Amino acid sequence: MQRFTATAKSALIAATGLAALTSIGALSAPAFAEVVENVELVTYTLWARQDISGPLRAGNVVKAAGLLNEALAEEGSNRRVQVVVQESPAAGFDDDALQLLRVFGIGEGPDLFIQSHTWICAFEKEGFVANLEDLIQANDWAFGTIFPTLWESTKCGGDRYAIPQDAEARMFFYNKKLMREAGISEEDIESLPARVLAGEVTLDGLSDIAKQVVDNTSAEYGILHRPSVGPDYIMVFNSYGNSFSDPETGSLLLEPEKLEAAFGWFERNVQIGVTPANNTAMEWGDIREAFYTRDNAAFWMYGIWDLASQAFPIYGLPKEEEAFFKDWGWTAVPPVVAGGTASSLTHPIVYAMSSEVQDKDLAIRLLGFASDADLNTDHAVTTAHLAIRSEQLDDPRYQAAWPVARATELLDITQYLPNNAGFADLNRVIYTALQGVETGSLSAAEAAQFVVDEAEVQLDDVIVR
Amino acid sequence: MGAISERFEAMPHRLASSKARQRVNMIVFLGPAILLTLAFFVLPVIVDVVISFTDMGRSLRINEFTFKQYEKVFVGDRRLASVITLTFVYAFLTLAIFNVTFGLILALLTTAIPKVSGGFFRGVWLLPRMSPSVLYILLWVWVIRPSDSGLLNQVLKQIFGVKEVVDLLTTAPLALIVVSNGFIGASMGMIIFTSAIRGIPEHLFHAARVDGAGSLSIVRHITLPALRWPISFITIYQTLSLLVSFEYILLLTKGGPFFDTTVLALYIYRRAFQSGQYAYGAALALFLIILGVVVAMLGWKFLDMKTLLQKPRIEVN
Repeated sequence: MQRFTATAKSALIAATGLAALTSIGALSAPAFAEVVENVELVTYTLWARQDISGPLRAGNVVKAAGLLNEALAEEGSNRRVQVVVQESPAAGFDDDALQLLRVFGIGEGPDLFIQSHTWICAFEKEGFVANLEDLIQANDWAFGTIFPTLWESTKCGGDRYAIPQDAEARMFFYNKKLMREAGISEEDIESLPARVLAGEVTLDGLSDIAKQVVDNTSAEYGILHRPSVGPDYIMVFNSYGNSFSDPETGSLLLEPEKLEAAFGWFERNVQIGVTPANNTAMEWGDIREAFYTRDNAAFWMYGIWDLASQAFPIYGLPKEEEAFFKDWGWTAVPPVVAGGTASSLTHPIVYAMSSEVQDKDLAIRLLGFASDADLNTDHAVTTAHLAIRSEQLDDPRYQAAWPVARATELLDITQYLPNNAGFADLNRVIYTALQGVETGSLSAAEAAQFVVDEAEVQLDDVIVR
Repeated sequence: MGAISERFEAMPHRLASSKARQRVNMIVFLGPAILLTLAFFVLPVIVDVVISFTDMGRSLRINEFTFKQYEKVFVGDRRLASVITLTFVYAFLTLAIFNVTFGLILALLTTAIPKVSGGFFRGVWLLPRMSPSVLYILLWVWVIRPSDSGLLNQVLKQIFGVKEVVDLLTTAPLALIVVSNGFIGASMGMIIFTSAIRGIPEHLFHAARVDGAGSLSIVRHITLPALRWPISFITIYQTLSLLVSFEYILLLTKGGPFFDTTVLALYIYRRAFQSGQYAYGAALALFLIILGVVVAMLGWKFLDMKTLLQKPRIEVN
């Protein structure tokens, strides 16, 4: 619980339950626990990245302070809680995590923070994050119904260090109009997701469909992927058998042959004119415009939340389910060989607590209220993220939000990025190699070797097999 | 006599007070400069050296003092050799094409035309240098954008009927950083060379004309010999500048695609601030400092700067 400077941090103050405190001026007090007229006000600082695809990640913690204060009042406690949000303007979660590690390093870390699950073990390695295992078990009322698989994304060495805040589904979106124009039958177009899940369509098969579109329509692009470091393209590496994690030691695992095979898929896509050589140099806006509004790309490898934060409000795609699926669709990532298993990838964002927090019992109750089904559903339905609890699936709001309701089925085949302190660095290396492959600077084999070489220089804990 | 002896007796005091005054003056006039030099030049180098012998990583913590960063520099980092090669290629091309040659051409042309016109054109070429880096690069980003909204592609499409979108970021990234940096670098040479040309006694040009010399002969036999010192100075100064500056490259290409435009200074930035390997970045930075000193000394020797900096034996008025 750190001191905070009002001018340096944007603050959101929990209003509910704090009206009386406001009247006596307690909100302006910067102290962690201040006793004013028998009310002990506990201030928690919360670090959150500014992110239009998830404003309620922090907002729900602020609301939770109100719920917790009501509970404390009912219990007859004189303690009250307020949350001060420190917003980071980092461009992505990797930049945000690096910034937060530096902040912790100089002793200015927040009490609570919101991070990508892949970074939690980096914080654990440095001793910045609290082990929540006992606290989670002691607060079953708050965390008992969170999907068991999501907890896996919060573990370092077997213990849980964070609380899942959301999940999502990543997939290939596709443009049905272009497929029709390319001469693909309506039946094949509509059955594509089912055929992928059944293992009938492979990754190369997907490339063939994209090639058909490029060859037979005016569309320039077959398959587009993100132009920055991120999780989506890792799905293809997963399909080729790269788990990046050694199950016995927890170390990062590199298997050059499997890496080469995955890079080979991207290399072939460029060679046959399906993916542009400059995909990694393209602007996000140009990619989305090409796919969503200009009918200029057959597939777009990304995630379900893009519909709520970009496709509907900015690019004008139809919000109604029927209208959307008339011309658009999505499919899981196909297997490499026929009969294999399709996959998706989820990249949970998590709540974590600083190891320096004194009253962890109170802080975990705050996070418990922030993980409340209603509050989490608010986040899920407004930003197209998947639920974290089973009871959310029955919520009429969740069922009415068809993108998340439909995408939830992908949780059955979803995979996670490894919870390893070095994975974010490894992912940056993989992305650089991918850029090298697509621009022709590296062959697939050279890219695999590049990843191994760079990982050995940059990372301490890598097994090459 | 009495007065003279009093003056002699007072001299040691005056000398003493004069020396004291000199010391005070030195502190007053040089003190701030010395402090600033220590704070912003010497201290950072010392900090860099210390960090380079640690294991400082993402959390800025130091757990041990070690030589392993230097092992990486000299043995482990297989990318470094190609990055250094690229750095010298980039510096040489930018220097040879723009900072010296084009700067010289601009100076010769703008001093050969009427003063007002010359001043106008020099002003135009100074605009990129006067603009904020981000604004200058934003304009470049718009010009080369690999889509129909990019200026270059609009021109190619509308005027020349080119249908394919041109993507210089992928097809010619090195040329792109050379040109974008060169447009700015040329203005420095232009200013220095212009002032040097203006300093050449005018009667030499008139005498040459009377002797029947043409414009090119005048440039070759009068102007260029007089510019030897400024050319040498610009070459060394701009080489060092190009070795350490990377902000335009970072903003324009981010060092990509792949490592195609990652010069050493940017490589250090990527290692230190994008990967959180601060100690390794510090070791690489020290390596860059040493590289810069070596380049400067070689330039000093081969361009004979010592002779050029000697006082002239004959003053020409």
